Amino acid sequence: MSGETAARYVGARVQRLEDPRMLTGRGHYIDDHVVPGMLHAAFVRSPVARGTVTALDVSEAREMPGVAAVFTMDDFRDVCQPTWSTITGRDPNALPLKPLADGDVRFAGDPIAIVVAESRYLAEDGAEVVDVDLDAQPPVLDIETGLRSGIVVHPEIGTNLAAHIDAPAEDEKIFADAAYVVTETVVQHRYVAVPMEGRGLVASWEPGRGELTIWAATQAPHEMRSYCARMLGLPEHRVRVVMGDVGGGFGQKMFVTREEMAVVLASYLLARPVRWIEDRAENLLAGGHARQEQATVSMAADAGGRLLAARVHHTENVGSYSTPGTGSVGGGVAAFFPGPYRLPVMSFTNQAVYTNTCGRCAYRGPWLFETVAREQMMDVVARATGMDPLELRRVNVLTDDDLPYTSPTGVRYERISPAKTLEQAAGLIDYDGFRREQAAARAAGRYLGLGLSLYVEPIQTRGVLGSEGAILRIEPTGEIMLIMGTASHGQSVETTMAQIVADELGCDPESIVFLQGDTAVTPWGPGTGGSKTAVIAAGAAHLAAGKMRDKLMRVAEHVLEVSASDLQLSGGRVHVKGDPEAGASFAKLAEAAYLNPAALPADIEPGLLVSARSVAPPSTLSNACHACTVEVDVHTGEVTILRYVVSEDCGRMINPMVVEGQIAGGVAQGVGGVLLEHMVYDAEGNPLTTTFMDYLLPTACEVPDIEYGHVVTPGDTAGGFKGMGEGGAIGSPPAVINAVADALAPLGARITGTPLGPPQVLAAIAAAAAGE
Amino acid sequence: MKAAPFEYHAPETLDEALALLAEFGDEAKVLAGGQSLVPILALRLSRFEHLIDLNRIPALRYVAATDGATRVGAMTIQAAIGRSEEVRRRVPLLADATARIGHFQIRNRGTIGGSVSHADPAAEYPAVAVTLDAEIDLASVRGTRTVSAADFFTGPLMTTAEPDEILTEIRFGNHVQGSAIAEMARRHGDFALAGAACTVELDAAERVRTLRLGLFGVASTPVRAQAAERAASGVAAGDLDPVAVGQAAVAGLSCVSDVHADAGYRQRVAGHLAGQVVARAVQEARAVQEARHG
Amino acid sequence: MAEHQVQATVNGQEVTAMVEPRLTLADFLRDRLRLTGTHLGCEHGVCGACTVLVDGAAIRSCLAFAVQMQGCSITTVEGLTPDSGELTDVQAAFRAEHGLQCGFCTPGFVVSATALLAERPDLTAAEVREGLSGNLCRCTGYQGIVRAVQSVIRSRQATGSGHEAEAGTAQAEAGAAQAEAGTARAAGVTGS
Repeated sequence: MSGETAARYVGARVQRLEDPRMLTGRGHYIDDHVVPGMLHAAFVRSPVARGTVTALDVSEAREMPGVAAVFTMDDFRDVCQPTWSTITGRDPNALPLKPLADGDVRFAGDPIAIVVAESRYLAEDGAEVVDVDLDAQPPVLDIETGLRSGIVVHPEIGTNLAAHIDAPAEDEKIFADAAYVVTETVVQHRYVAVPMEGRGLVASWEPGRGELTIWAATQAPHEMRSYCARMLGLPEHRVRVVMGDVGGGFGQKMFVTREEMAVVLASYLLARPVRWIEDRAENLLAGGHARQEQATVSMAADAGGRLLAARVHHTENVGSYSTPGTGSVGGGVAAFFPGPYRLPVMSFTNQAVYTNTCGRCAYRGPWLFETVAREQMMDVVARATGMDPLELRRVNVLTDDDLPYTSPTGVRYERISPAKTLEQAAGLIDYDGFRREQAAARAAGRYLGLGLSLYVEPIQTRGVLGSEGAILRIEPTGEIMLIMGTASHGQSVETTMAQIVADELGCDPESIVFLQGDTAVTPWGPGTGGSKTAVIAAGAAHLAAGKMRDKLMRVAEHVLEVSASDLQLSGGRVHVKGDPEAGASFAKLAEAAYLNPAALPADIEPGLLVSARSVAPPSTLSNACHACTVEVDVHTGEVTILRYVVSEDCGRMINPMVVEGQIAGGVAQGVGGVLLEHMVYDAEGNPLTTTFMDYLLPTACEVPDIEYGHVVTPGDTAGGFKGMGEGGAIGSPPAVINAVADALAPLGARITGTPLGPPQVLAAIAAAAAGE
Repeated sequence: MKAAPFEYHAPETLDEALALLAEFGDEAKVLAGGQSLVPILALRLSRFEHLIDLNRIPALRYVAATDGATRVGAMTIQAAIGRSEEVRRRVPLLADATARIGHFQIRNRGTIGGSVSHADPAAEYPAVAVTLDAEIDLASVRGTRTVSAADFFTGPLMTTAEPDEILTEIRFGNHVQGSAIAEMARRHGDFALAGAACTVELDAAERVRTLRLGLFGVASTPVRAQAAERAASGVAAGDLDPVAVGQAAVAGLSCVSDVHADAGYRQRVAGHLAGQVVARAVQEARAVQEARHG
Repeated sequence: MAEHQVQATVNGQEVTAMVEPRLTLADFLRDRLRLTGTHLGCEHGVCGACTVLVDGAAIRSCLAFAVQMQGCSITTVEGLTPDSGELTDVQAAFRAEHGLQCGFCTPGFVVSATALLAERPDLTAAEVREGLSGNLCRCTGYQGIVRAVQSVIRSRQATGSGHEAEAGTAQAEAGAAQAEAGTARAAGVTGS
């Protein structure tokens, strides 16, 4: 690897290569994809949260014009084999998923039958006349009932305890002797991923060739390939998964879900291509939920506000059918609860509980409740000690001198900068100036507040997630193709990887054609998500580019008869240092490499194709500090965000514009989650928020201007990049919650979690006025 | 999310439309802007064998000024109402309400007749109609009748219109002196969780001659705060306590609860907003009176 | 149910088709005319991904039926893009300001922003946000989108021109080359 080519593109705000097609309506999303002869699917779904299927008559639907087939679990039983996620491995505690309800329904929206017809319109017509008789039974909907009532969501499992953690600590004396002990129950409500494009796929089983092809809106084509191959008992190389442009995922499209299984099985039985495009009602109803959990946290601090110990009892509502596994995030919450602070002792217990609601999917920072709970508790400790929340954090934050530091949960912290980001964020938001402004506003009867949120973000590269592949090809005519196992669906990977390759090869990023997401062609990859692109994908691109660079140099030596030490790469050519004219274009070199193989020296393999796989370092952490100021209207409960600042450290940035965009999207999801979004079930388990009229996403009016500061602590990778895609969603909820709590503190209002819509804000104020 | 099948009719005159409606009865539904109806069809919450599209009847789109009233054709597009100079001058409350309806893409298609017929208790146009005591014309093959807005709305999404009647025109009295509208919605453009609209007319001595105060988003229809209105009558503008009027407006009001807000919240916020619109309308009326009388 | 003939102009081209009444304008454009730039994000009129211009006015094409379009002139995102492949100033600004990530909401925003600015060329920052509030984005947090619209307002005012502004030219030319290449690449769903 040479340092001879300057970093012209890495680190720059390079405009995206993806944009022109997307801006002109020429992207190619799954709903745009036509497979000749394809049929269209719609699902019959349970209208009740729990019940037995006493009758299921699909005959009228089957007879409807345009309906090709109607399948139930009876039809799939013999062909659907147990399968599991390759990425997460087989979870012995989790239920192998069945695509359709099998004699009973376990959440409102549970798919019971799949109707396949000539159009979606006709499929929905058919679904309406499927006759289902259900004997509705009382559901369990919340954690308490799930644990205490005798009603079992999954009789095959026999308990509603999906997972649990018991990690006690010796802390009695610490709590007994501590100057301050605070206890609070922090609640996080159910809210969901909502990519603008729902799930969708076209599955085509061709028995003559023995091949299954799936075009899908997926974040992990290789995962889908192995999952579906296993499901049908097919060898993996007989299954091909292809992704085009994908309209967001946030985790919801990382793992194969039951409806997708049903679509593949339908194609298998029909030997016809079958397409399913999830509509928004389905997506909200059954597309995978998230976030509903709470914890009772006790924290002990000394007289100076230094944290001594924490006790966390964490419970989660994981719904019915989760992907992957049980849906529990207890392990991640436990591991990262200490966050960027010196916390000597922590005890942690967790219970994940099944209920008759939609199961979970991964949603951007699935474990983020650790930050949500901890950062709220920091402010609770601050109020108890009378310390300013910034000061309390300064006292406890890990500084450079503390590193490397191993938390009580065994996480090793190094190469992070929480203290620096804390100071940078405080400076950017003009912390002291705001406190003065706040005091003046209070005197005038206005309620302003400031919230801080400090966190460390684990980049998920352990085990199977630790490697990505890249193939670089220079074609005989000199064009560069970069072929990777990534599954970018908004992360700008097409651009950022081209920046890396362009720097190594001394060419223009726009000269690189990027191919991803086709398992027949692309190297195996663990999918895009988990904030790891800048570590493993960039690593692979970097390695491959280095290999190609070396190859080009060797071919150039042969073609130009000049030693490599006298050559450089720039302008899309290899040329003598200082003499751009004396060189050869990539096209010329490719010609030599491909078209005259016999003339090549024996130690140069013909062609220009290299491949590489990265290996992630054992652990990579990013970190950031969010600071948010709000005004709360105490008459209406409305919260207006005044300013929002993020000081982030993701190491060296490949493209700062992309980094800021990822932060912004995550912040919008946190702001929305706290102030607007709420997935609600009524007392019978009927969902009340299955349209965009009721599930409220933030618009341009509700998301503030976001201001950024950057700190750079390089990661342990060749480029020093670290990854950060989930961070915006992790840090934002507590920043907003803490700001509201800070605004209302003078009224004595206690804010202990979310949702925090106007009614909840007024209720908190009223409770304080009533002396509660 | 695809609608169930229906037959489509695009009459070019009102009479044709009425005849179709009479023929098909409650198997038919008229289609105006579609901004409320089409989602209902797409979600299959309702279905109709026949849709009668009113968009090809130019005679139903107009804003016309008469002595003492402004007549608005039912199929007048909300965006056109928002841009209308006549409406701005003669019924400013209607113009102000328009800007609060949804988003400009909705207003480019939605109509006043559609909105009023749909009778969402949280919608702006029904609230303005009730606040201004608008008159609503309903036509059928049996003739045309006029209903006062006070009598028109009977419940959530329910009106006194017969299944074979089409709303053809709404008439608003001319603007008095001061008017204001305010609403609390979760997001810009959403239906109101609570809203208030007010007009005020003062006599030469700046006493309240009429005060109209309508509340929306809170009950099963838009409502007038009649007790509060009566209490304000004759009171000198300087002596009026808008906050108290607002509180009086919601005293004893039975509000709705839903997933977005409970009844208590709605009542509280409606009272607050009612006070705000009364204050603004009175302020505007006083300024008009001062300008007029020096 | 009886089909109806509808004749309309779509992106400047005369189109005649027989349609089932319940076929939405969005599905007609996407499935019958293969103008797939108009996207479906909700099909109940909230997200704005399906925004098109009908007789110059931005509407939600999921809330109109194709059969209603008799005699209308419809413009989709494809129709806003010049044949040369150059990006309009609105499109170029979205690119320059990173106003898109997954791209799914983008055509709806491009059409809405184009229509918004045609009607109201001078908007405050708050008015820009209000004007855009009828389109949902889940990736960008609206940062780049708002900046893009503001930059178009500024550059149109600076050049005194109504529509195509100089400022976007350099990006637009780069964009043109990529538009060609991008179309080929995007068909990663090459299939067999």
